[in-house]
Amino acid sequence: MRILVVEDDTNLNRQLKDALTENGYAVDVAFDGEEGHFLGDTEPYDAVILDIGLPHMDGLSVLEEWRRAGKTMPVLLLTARDRWSDKVQGIDAGADDYVAKPFHMEEILARLRALVRRAAGHSSNEITAGSVRLDVKAGKVTVDGDAVKLTSHELRLLSYLMHHKGKVISRTELTEHLYDQDFDRDSNTIEVFVGRLRKKLPDECIQTVRGLGYQILED
Amino acid sequence: MAAEQSAVSKLSDWARTRFDQLRTTLGTIGKPKTSIAARLFWLSGAWLMVALLATAILLTELYSRALDTSLSETLEFHVETLVSRTIEATEAGGDAGSDTVRVGDPRFERTASGWYWTIRGQDGRLANFSSSVVGIVLPEITTPFSAGNRRTAVATDPFGTQIRVIERAVTANGVPLRIMVTGSLDEILELVDDFRGQTLIVLLAVAVMLTIMSFIVARIALRPLQKLGKAIEEVREGETETVTGDYPLEIAPLADEVNELLRSNQQIIERAKNQVGNLAHGLKTPIAVLRNEATSEKANPLSRIVLSESDKMQQMVSTYLDRARISARSAVVGKKADGIHVMLRLVRVMEKLHPEITYAMVRADASLPWFRGDESDLEEMAGNLLDNASKWAKGQIGVTMVAERNKSQAMLLIKIEDDGPGLTEEQVKAVMRRGVKLDEKVQGSGLGLDIVKELVDVYGGSLQLKRSVLGGLLAELRLPAAKLGGLGRSG
Repeated sequence: MRILVVEDDTNLNRQLKDALTENGYAVDVAFDGEEGHFLGDTEPYDAVILDIGLPHMDGLSVLEEWRRAGKTMPVLLLTARDRWSDKVQGIDAGADDYVAKPFHMEEILARLRALVRRAAGHSSNEITAGSVRLDVKAGKVTVDGDAVKLTSHELRLLSYLMHHKGKVISRTELTEHLYDQDFDRDSNTIEVFVGRLRKKLPDECIQTVRGLGYQILED
Repeated sequence: MAAEQSAVSKLSDWARTRFDQLRTTLGTIGKPKTSIAARLFWLSGAWLMVALLATAILLTELYSRALDTSLSETLEFHVETLVSRTIEATEAGGDAGSDTVRVGDPRFERTASGWYWTIRGQDGRLANFSSSVVGIVLPEITTPFSAGNRRTAVATDPFGTQIRVIERAVTANGVPLRIMVTGSLDEILELVDDFRGQTLIVLLAVAVMLTIMSFIVARIALRPLQKLGKAIEEVREGETETVTGDYPLEIAPLADEVNELLRSNQQIIERAKNQVGNLAHGLKTPIAVLRNEATSEKANPLSRIVLSESDKMQQMVSTYLDRARISARSAVVGKKADGIHVMLRLVRVMEKLHPEITYAMVRADASLPWFRGDESDLEEMAGNLLDNASKWAKGQIGVTMVAERNKSQAMLLIKIEDDGPGLTEEQVKAVMRRGVKLDEKVQGSGLGLDIVKELVDVYGGSLQLKRSVLGGLLAELRLPAAKLGGLGRSG
């Protein structure tokens, strides 16, 4: 999952990036409204954490621009202004959720998980495909109830495919959503990780659709 | 030196006296004073009394003078008559005592009438006289004769009647004579007294009528002021935002000034609110950074201190922000908000934040009144209650809005209920008790109710927590309604 963090406070920006990276997200950051708007407009993100008070272009304007351009990724607004009138304004501008500063990092992570899950059409924190079960909140994978040990890169890959199960996901899409913008897109790491995952999971779990990409079938 | 000191002390005494006067004057501002109409009534009444009294005195004086002149002319005429008749009689061979020397006026026939005439010779012996003189002795006049051989005087006859006396010295056929005629002054005084009495009665009636008229005129003229007072009261009651209505030229600037004052007050509140918001933004981000940094290194003892202190800072920031908001709020006048509009907007937001919950909105009364207060405050109260319900609901939330009457006041009742676990009676008591005041609060109640309770208090409404038929909690929020319910709403 690839997340964009738009926050002008350098310390808070770094903290968010660290916490998200630690939790298996690929993170891009922006420090002002214009930069954030450009990234959100050009890169595919699974979710955005957007501060309202930003230099150059405020968060609500950035959000409105994105929605006007047809961008549908879930957006979590971050702001010091926690009155209901502010919340209403944020939601009306196209936000999906709202967290007031100061916040607990766990709350941001929980809200973000819920947004990503909801955007993919899942109502629970647990996603299953056959005998494979993914606990999104705990970041744990089990096969027939037995825990499977995965590296963070393997988990990211499986999580993205499970969130979008039933859909064919191209290698490019996987690269775009699993790595931040500095990643070398020409490498064949995706194939390597798929190979490793297949060894740890049941054979039929991840299907290769020739010429198109990978797919986890619906139950 | 001593003179200088005395001058200084005089000056300081003078200043102290002036200051005391000023303080007394200023001290009376704000205390109720006599009404303008009453003051006008007393002033015009007093002035009319003085003016009309002066008029009465003047009229009486003029009347009295006219009567006096007329008396003198009458007496003069009688003197002339007697002179010519005496001359006629002496020329015809008779003397001043002849029967033809007479005056026709019957008042000279009556005893004690004050009307007398006598003709005396050089020695003062009576040559002729009116019947009224019989048996009495008239007072002698000592005034010297003027160039025209006449003299006048005021005297008293033996009956005590005041009389005007005119005497002429003439020579008839070589005999020097003094012809005297008198007329009653008391008659004139009686007439003047009558006149004075009647004039006073008439003028008093006029004065009373004019005073009453001035009172009525003042009341009519002051009516726009009463209207303005009512308009300002409506603003205070929250029925209108500005003073409205047409006013006369003299009062229109006052209405404009009041509106200007309301506008500038509003601006100050807006500015204060904005500054509070800016302060919040300024403080909350650094606190968030401190907390996150400390959380990631919990083992470090410094982190624990930073964490606990930043928690306190956050608590203080939100407590004082809430208090600032509430105190700014109580000064907001003339605001009203459409409750339905606010609730629809909040439900729309909630549906997005909690897509798994079904929100049902019932508007029980077609002519639902508006909320008398700030729209964002209503949003804050209902938003927190709705958010709270959404946290606990299994899948259903109901919102009902009804118009109510509480004693003489129109109220707006907003009911928010959920199908969650609800609260027991003890829990409700605890929740309503906890954090009674923001400044006593150590930790939030976890239900977001503190700000709701504070706002409900500010607006003089009420909040009750009950058990809902849906199984969960039912929150009943009662708020004062603005008049003009149902107006301006379409669709």
